[in-house]
Amino acid sequence: MKRDVIVAVSFLLAFLFMAYALVYANVLGLGGAELRPLGEFYLSHSFAHEGLTSHSPEVVTAIVWNYRGFDTLFETFVFFLAIMGAFSVLRLTDEQEKLVKELEAREPHRQMDLIVRAITKLVVIMIVAISASIALHGHLTPGGGFQGGSAMAVASLLLFAAFSKFTLERKGLTVKHTVSAYALGLALILATVLAPVFLYGGKVLEINLLPGEMGLFNLDVGEYLAVTFGFLTVFLVLGVSEWIFKTVLRGEVND
Amino acid sequence: MIDLLLAYITLTLFGMVLLGIYGVVTRSNLIKKIIMLNIMGDAVNMLFILIGYRIVFPVFPPIYEEHITFEEFLSRAVDPTPQALVLTAIVIGMAMNILLATYAIQFYRLHGTVDARDIAEIIGGEGE
Repeated sequence: MKRDVIVAVSFLLAFLFMAYALVYANVLGLGGAELRPLGEFYLSHSFAHEGLTSHSPEVVTAIVWNYRGFDTLFETFVFFLAIMGAFSVLRLTDEQEKLVKELEAREPHRQMDLIVRAITKLVVIMIVAISASIALHGHLTPGGGFQGGSAMAVASLLLFAAFSKFTLERKGLTVKHTVSAYALGLALILATVLAPVFLYGGKVLEINLLPGEMGLFNLDVGEYLAVTFGFLTVFLVLGVSEWIFKTVLRGEVND
Repeated sequence: MIDLLLAYITLTLFGMVLLGIYGVVTRSNLIKKIIMLNIMGDAVNMLFILIGYRIVFPVFPPIYEEHITFEEFLSRAVDPTPQALVLTAIVIGMAMNILLATYAIQFYRLHGTVDARDIAEIIGGEGE
């Protein structure tokens, strides 16, 4: 109890110190009318000259593609590592998966009532359209593969809640298929990144050698696929009912 | 007036960062820790965006349009660099979030608890 008070008081003191530094000394340089030199450089150069990858009139997109391409690429790798880490923690052996299938066959297929289901169908169609529109010209306007993919993941979560995991699996969205689609997206990204080396003798990620805006468009679509199905894979594995997972895992512990 | 507003918003965001650290340190429930970590990360991202803001009127987003001259664009648009940085930070935060949530769920399924003190007991660490 006494320790809590000390922690709270020290945080309050830190807050007061920061307030003083921010308001009176203005250490962050907030609220000026002037641009910082770096921001001015990016604003005036990121789409002003020829030979750059992106033709976007939006400066943030132009910075990301013209100056920080590797950043975006390795971001995809970090996301891959996170999904694979989650997936490997939740993995099951073949026998356990068979056991899960048997137990799930006995479980009743619960879903929400008619109103919720009908409205969810409409909303999901809209979300899919919007996510495609965010993703497919993300190399020109605000948005991009990750943002579109996240929107799409929300659609799959809505389906999860209103219908059930089994409805999705009946429609063909089993874990095997989603992992395959995820791998397809990553393969598209890798192929686009490596294509300049093998086709045109350029460097890795020198995608302005590819005709038109194909390079950026491919990266966008690849990221869109990867994020959508990466999320969906984790949701499908997490969607196994709690008691089934516990039964299977307790069996593992007892062995 | 706008200075006061900006200072108020900034202080609120700093307060949220400190609140996040406080929550991560003092709560023992793993899920609460993850929530506080998210609050902290979002506040930091907002703070980054706010640093790039300029007090001019009217202020433009960093999107170049044909009907304004380039000089006017330079004198009105906000700083795009923090926005480009935050774009990456959001994705990394999301990836971290997936991983943490999955580990917490799996730990709950295996051991039936997400309390940090119980976890220290279970894995035999030097908890209190």
